[in-house]
Parts: sequence; C-alpha cells; structure tokens
Amino acid sequence: MNIRDKLFLGFSLYILLATIFAFFSYQEIRTVTTRLAYVEVVDDINNNVLEVRRTEKNFFLFKNEESLKEMQEYLSALKKDIDGITVEIIKAMEPADYNMMKTAITEYEHYVDNLGNNFKSQEKLVDMIRTAGKQIEKGLSGKEKNEFYILRRYEKNIMLYKDLKEYEAFKSLNLGGNKEIEKYRILVFDLYKIYKDEKNLEDKTRLKAREIQSFTEKLSKKEREHMNLQLKRMAKLPLFGLLTIIVLGTIINIQFSRNIANPIKKLEEITKKIAMGDFSETIEVKGKDEIASLGMSFNQMEKTIRDSKSALQNAVEVAVTNCNEKQAQLIATEKLAILGLFAAGVAHEINNPLAIINEKAGLMKDILEMSEDFQHKTRFLNLLDAIFESINRCRTVTHRILGFARKTEVSIEILDLNDIIKGVTVFLEKEILYKNIRLELNLKKNLPEVRSDKGQLQQVFLNIIKNAIDAVDNGGLVAVSTDLKDGNMAKVSIKDNGHGISGENMKRIFEPFFTTKGTGKGTGIGLSITYGIVKNLGGNILLESEGDKGTTFIVEIPTNSELAKGQVA
Amino acid sequence: MSTKVLIVDDEVEFASTLAERLALRNYDVKAVYNAEDAITDAQSDPPDVVLLDLRMPGIGGLEVLKILKKFDPSIEVILVTGQPETEGSGEGIPTGLFDYIMKPVDMGELILKINNADQKRKLSRHS
Repeated sequence: MNIRDKLFLGFSLYILLATIFAFFSYQEIRTVTTRLAYVEVVDDINNNVLEVRRTEKNFFLFKNEESLKEMQEYLSALKKDIDGITVEIIKAMEPADYNMMKTAITEYEHYVDNLGNNFKSQEKLVDMIRTAGKQIEKGLSGKEKNEFYILRRYEKNIMLYKDLKEYEAFKSLNLGGNKEIEKYRILVFDLYKIYKDEKNLEDKTRLKAREIQSFTEKLSKKEREHMNLQLKRMAKLPLFGLLTIIVLGTIINIQFSRNIANPIKKLEEITKKIAMGDFSETIEVKGKDEIASLGMSFNQMEKTIRDSKSALQNAVEVAVTNCNEKQAQLIATEKLAILGLFAAGVAHEINNPLAIINEKAGLMKDILEMSEDFQHKTRFLNLLDAIFESINRCRTVTHRILGFARKTEVSIEILDLNDIIKGVTVFLEKEILYKNIRLELNLKKNLPEVRSDKGQLQQVFLNIIKNAIDAVDNGGLVAVSTDLKDGNMAKVSIKDNGHGISGENMKRIFEPFFTTKGTGKGTGIGLSITYGIVKNLGGNILLESEGDKGTTFIVEIPTNSELAKGQVA
Repeated sequence: MSTKVLIVDDEVEFASTLAERLALRNYDVKAVYNAEDAITDAQSDPPDVVLLDLRMPGIGGLEVLKILKKFDPSIEVILVTGQPETEGSGEGIPTGLFDYIMKPVDMGELILKINNADQKRKLSRHS
C-alpha cells in the first residue's frame, strides 16, 4: 500500500468513526423524538382519564343527565386519543400494552353505558312508584292509610339510602290483599334490584377506571424512565465517541507515523553513514509503498556509489602506480640524459687534444722511422707504440661517448621507419662487406608513419645494428624486420645469430658502463644511451636472447596517432 | 700524379701535423683553418679529397660540404669528426658525404679512405 493510500485510509478511518457516531447520535435523537411524542400522547391519555374520573365522581354524586353527558364526552375524547396513536408510538409502547389499554377503555365505556341505562331505568321507576304511591294513598283511609305511609317511608328510605336494611323493612311490611299495593311493592322491589345493579356497576366502573388510571400512570412513569435512560445514554454518546476518536485516532496516527517516519529516519541514518564513507548498511525493504520503492532505489544508488568508489580507487591506484613507474622512468631517462651530456662534453674536450697528441706522436714515429739508427731509437719506437696504445684506449672511450651522446632537444617530423632502417644499413655497408655478413631486411609494406626525431632514431638503429654486427662471427646473419604491434606501435626487430647474452647480463645490459666486451673495446655507454633515447621518444626497447642462438633487440616506436597524445609536449 | 688533399680544421696543431704526416706519405696536402679559406682554396685549386672538420666557427662543416659538392660533385669529402654522424644538425647523415673518420685518426684507416675516395673520384671523372 502506498503512502497516499495509507494517509487516505487514515483520514477515512477518522471520517468513518465520525460518521458512525453521527449515525448513532441521529438514531438516538430520533428515538428520543418518538419517545417524546409518545410521552405527550400518554400525558393526554392520562389527562383525559383524570377528566373522565372527575366526571364519573360527579355523576356518582349527583346522578343527573348533565354529569353523565359530560362523562361520556370525556370518554369519547379519550377513545379518540387512543385511536389516534400512530403505529410508531404503538411499537414504542409495545403493542400488548396498547391492546390491553384499548380493551380496558372499551369495557369501561360499556360499564358507563350500562350505568346510563340503569340511571334512566331508575328515574322511570321512581316516577312510576311515586305516581302509584300517590294513587294508592288517595284510595286508602284510616289504619290502612297509616300503614301505607309507613311503607312509603321505607320506600323513601330505600331511594335515599339504597340500603338492604330499609329494603328488608319494606319487604317485611306486607299489607296484604290490595292488588294496587302489591304492584307498587313489585315496582319498589324492581327499583331496589336496579339499585343493586347500579351499585354493582358503579363498583365495576370504578375498578375499571382505576385500572385504566393506574395503567396510564404506569405507562407514563415507565416512559419517563425510558426517557431518562435515553437522555443519559445520549449524554454519554458524544463523550464516548470523542474518546473513541481520540484513542483510536491516536493509535492509528502513531501506527501510520511509525510506518512512514521510521523508514525515513533509517534512511537518514544510513545517508549520514554513507556521507562519512561507510557503505556497510543497506535499507531493509518492506512492503510495496513509496518508502519501499525509495529504499530499493536508495540501495541501488548506494551500490552504484560503492562500485564507482571502488572502481575509482582501483583506477587511482593503477594511475598512481603508472605515474610512479613513468616518473621512475623519467628520472632514469633524465639521469641518463644528464650523464650523456656530461660525458659528451668531457669526451669532446678530451678528444681534440687527444687527436693532437696522436698526430704529434704519429709525426714523431714517422720521423723516427725515417731517421738513421741511433742509440735509443728502438726504445723510442716502443715508447711511441705504448703512447698509441693508450691513445687508442682513450679514443675507444671518447668515440663511444661522442658517438652515442644523445641530443637533448628533440626535433620531431613525420618519418618512415623503413626508410631510416635502409639509410642506416647503407651507412654500415662497408662493415657488413668487411665481415661478409648476410643482412636480411623484412620491412613491412605500408607501415604507419611515426612522428619522431630522425637523427636520434638513426643513432638508435645504427648502434643496435652495429652491436649485432659486432656480435656475429664472420659470415654471420643479421636480420632486421619491421611490423605493426597492437595497431599503435611500429616494431623493429634486430636479430643476430651471434653468441647471445646470458640471463644475468640481460638484466644489466642497459645500465651505464656495463659491458661484456673486453677492456678497451666497450664503454658500456651505447646501449644505456640508446635505451634513454627510445624511452624519451615514447617507445620501448626489449631484449630477447636464447643462449648461444643469438640475440633479438626489439624497438617499439609509437605511430603518428599514438605519439601525438603525449610525448611531444 | 699524387692525390690532392685539402685539410679543413680550425684546430691548427692538428691540421698542420696531419698535413705534414700525409705529405711524408707523398700526398699533395694543404691545410686551411677556416671554412672561408677552404671554399676559396678549393675553388682556385680543386682538391681530390677534402678532410673536413664538422665543428668550425662561422660556416660549419656541413655548409662547406654542400658548397663544395655544388661546385664540383666529383670532389670527395671525408668528415673528420668527434662523432660518426651529424652532430646537432637534426638532419641525419649528410648527403654527398663519402665517408667519415673519427678523431684521433688512425693513419692506416685514413689512408685507406683517402685512396678509396680518390679512386671513386677518378672513376666518376672517367665516366
């Protein structure tokens, strides 16, 4: 999951939590609203019940048409209330309660109707009894009339007290025989019976009314308790919601922050280490989000830097080694150059007086030889020979030095190595002829040109070929070949079939003043100067020798393109 | 008729002594000590062989060689020098040079070279 999704999820969780609590709060408010409506309905019912009970008392007290009517009106209002209760409220108050209440009210209404009928019957009977009484009184006289008065008094007491004792008294007074009185008595019996019914009905009505009243009171009480609970719960809900959002939100936030911040912190630590040159640690890649992708890229980058660094270190080491080698070579070449210059100067200064000594001594010898014999002539001639011998030794040294003393200034031009080889061999023709040497030239056609110093190259090849000529016996072989090496070096091989050079001597062959030739024959300077020249021209000089099978000198000179890179600065 | 040899060298002692020794060996020798004299002399009395020093004040040996060869290509020149080839010229082995000999001079070798040069000159004159 990527960071954007994580953040989105984090915010979404908050919103979800808030929505859930908003939903619950809405539900609670709706419930409370319904409950409130219900409470109102219950209150209305309660009020109507109270009104009904009040009119009921009035009716029981006054027993008149008016109070009955009033009572019936309130009862009808109560019924209307009950019928007007919505399905929602019925559900809220539980349908069983509702049905019980409805049945109770219907029963109550029925009692009230009966009471009404009873009341009407009473009035009718009372009228009939009073009329019958007055009628009978008119027809009676004397004792019978007095006895009838007693009966009527009982009758009035029955109407007034509706009491069993009065009724028993009335019943026990039997005046006998008179049909009218008997009818009258039956009417009073009926009235008492109606009274009894009335009493019974009143009791039942009261009971039912009480039942309804206590029922509505119970409902009202229950509903208020419900409301209280509901309100308490509602009051707790925002607190609970807020707490949940704070706690859950904090946990989610911490988790997400850790998820995002920890890898970044780790990244920062490793970056600091890398900045200090420590490449030992990599980032542990977890998951598939941007941080993981960043970690992977970072590890790749670290690897690239590490590889580059080590490659660079290696390159620097190689470069330093090369540089040290080149410097050592340069110092060696420089030493040789200084030595060459110094030696050349000395040799030149010595050579001229030496030439004069040689001529003077030669002239002395000429004169002596032409002279007649005298006492020490032979001795003088011998002494002169000794002088010549010494002159020759000096000459060998000075010639070597002067012959190979290199020039310090390099004069560069485009040259064909094959032409230079040919020129040098032509110059050595006499010596080749003199020793009857077989010279083989294997010069490669279209050899790339070199940019180099003609005089110095001539010196190099003159020296090496001369050495080869010296190395072989009469009739020996000297083979010179040219070729291209690695596309950027012209290679000249000078091979002879002489006596070769031993391994020990090969190591020292380019050292100044090292020579294998006998005293007076070699100075040990030629090859060291040759070496210096070749190196100075950016080339190489190598030596191969297989014991007494001969020696091969290999001189490599950079071709035009290669040399242009550096040496001629 | 003896071979005419002209020695050109600013080292007077060397040139004069060598001239004397060659004269003892029946050469018609003349020694001059600078380049200008060498050119004048060679033009007025052309030699067969010139023994030429390379390092001289003023006009150097190489210039003299060029002038002489231009004047008379049959004049053979042997370079008498401290070293076997061109010193500091940067031009390599000079053209028209017959041979060279190094100081101090070996008389036997010198005579051989003079005779060879003379012989070559004579041959070229005949052809």
